[in-house]
Amino acid sequence: MAGLIAARPRVSAKAYFGAVALATALGIAAAMLLRPAFAHTVLELTGLESVPQASADSFYAQRVQPLFQAHCIGCHGSERQKGGLRLDSFAATQRGGKHGAVAVAGDIKGSSLFERITLPATDDRAMPPSGKTPMNNDEITVIRLWIASGASGTLPARAVKGAPRLVAPVTIPELNPSAVVKKRAPLAARVAQLRGRFPGIVEYESRDSADLVVNATLKHDAFGDSDLRALAPLGARIVAADLSGTAVTDAAAPLLAAMPVLRSLRLMRTKTTDATVTALAGSKTLKVLAVGKASPEALAPLRRKGVRIYEDADGG
Amino acid sequence: MADEAVTPKPLHVRVWDAPTRLFHWTIVTLVFVSWLSADQGYMKVHLCSGLALLALLLFRIGWGLVGSTTARFSDFLHPPRTVIGYVKGLVGGEKHLYAGHNPAGGLMVVAMIVVLLAQALTGLFANDGLHFSGPLALLISDDVSTWITGLHSLIFNAILLLVWCHVVAVGFYLFVKGDNLVKAMITGRKPHTHVPEAVRIAFTRSYIALLMLLLVLTAGGAAWFMIQGGAFL
Repeated sequence: MAGLIAARPRVSAKAYFGAVALATALGIAAAMLLRPAFAHTVLELTGLESVPQASADSFYAQRVQPLFQAHCIGCHGSERQKGGLRLDSFAATQRGGKHGAVAVAGDIKGSSLFERITLPATDDRAMPPSGKTPMNNDEITVIRLWIASGASGTLPARAVKGAPRLVAPVTIPELNPSAVVKKRAPLAARVAQLRGRFPGIVEYESRDSADLVVNATLKHDAFGDSDLRALAPLGARIVAADLSGTAVTDAAAPLLAAMPVLRSLRLMRTKTTDATVTALAGSKTLKVLAVGKASPEALAPLRRKGVRIYEDADGG
Repeated sequence: MADEAVTPKPLHVRVWDAPTRLFHWTIVTLVFVSWLSADQGYMKVHLCSGLALLALLLFRIGWGLVGSTTARFSDFLHPPRTVIGYVKGLVGGEKHLYAGHNPAGGLMVVAMIVVLLAQALTGLFANDGLHFSGPLALLISDDVSTWITGLHSLIFNAILLLVWCHVVAVGFYLFVKGDNLVKAMITGRKPHTHVPEAVRIAFTRSYIALLMLLLVLTAGGAAWFMIQGGAFL
């Protein structure tokens, strides 16, 4: 169903495509006026505008960006850009969303970012939206201070006064039960046996450690040198021992001094003397020593090695 | 010698049937509504326009098989060599006449149907990360839905590009070639000087288009109620 005739152009193709190029450029210009974020992207891509960068020591990098990371980038990050807004970089934050800047330097009331995070949770426009963890008061204060101080990417964190104290997040590592069992295996049988004989006295230092902690204080006089000798097979793993108030004497000193990983030892209200303190002077691992009776001369070598010494005020 | 009856040649020739024209302008409207509703956050409107778009596209595919001559894929789908030859001819100032879509226009129709169909289908599985999800988003994981949402946004750029090409091409025919394709798509008629002499167009009756649309809507409605009832979960 085709035919062929000679065509006489009304407008030359050259003129037409020139007009198209002009109209397209005007369209892009209009879109840039209506969408500031788009405008910034175009200007940055064409090298007409530098990409704003935040410095590592800035209030933004240290206090603000982590909050965006925690609360916002699920919907305003690389995968989703709700409202045309990205908050995963300083440049993107500066660009704002499809309705313009979200953080206006020094203008808290004019900053939709601040407005949205302070709306009541029942408001449809509240951010983060319902079902997501809202920012707490300290976090909102951080955002307020950032905007009030100029929404800068370079203002140092220390220059912003009144910011809530930064609380470092604590992450508890995943426990690997099989690795713990493997680590504890060499002494597991002995530990089980002695824990049976001395209930509550021998414990592992932590849930994933093979190191041991001995605390015999509740046994008082019922725990003496012979009991400590019974624990000798575990000596290689004992990192802390609290023998305060027990019946141990200087006879236990060689045993204590031979513990290769002992870091903390408490001997208050025992019959130990300078002899025990002197024997411990050779320990390479001891960091803390609490004693009752001990002379400054006996303690001096330990002090010189940086061992923290705690002395019983009553001399007991 | 008996007088010979002379039938005056009509000034305009009917080339487009009503369903094809209605489809074209409804698609234009729905694409605009879909963009505007998503942009302004009216997601229920966006859902409705997207579903309507999907139904219309399915209808158009069917109409491309059983519709009038100029609506059929077989009429306007040409091998790449023909399309390239046609475009070269345009550049050289030749004017080929086609009753329906020319080879480049036919390619544009197919590209538009494919891209719009991809957009409508991805929309079914997309979510806006807030309060709205496509009707089939629950069938897939959140990660996949998020990925598809990214694709949904990306395809929109392809639609913009195609629309730009389409409008530029239509303008080219209007201003450079003197061929008003827009008017033809409104009235269904072209000046006889723009249509090949020996053209024969068979028009499929419009009630068949209506039946087809009803079929698509019924199937879509049934699927909708099944989804709402959790049939696929």
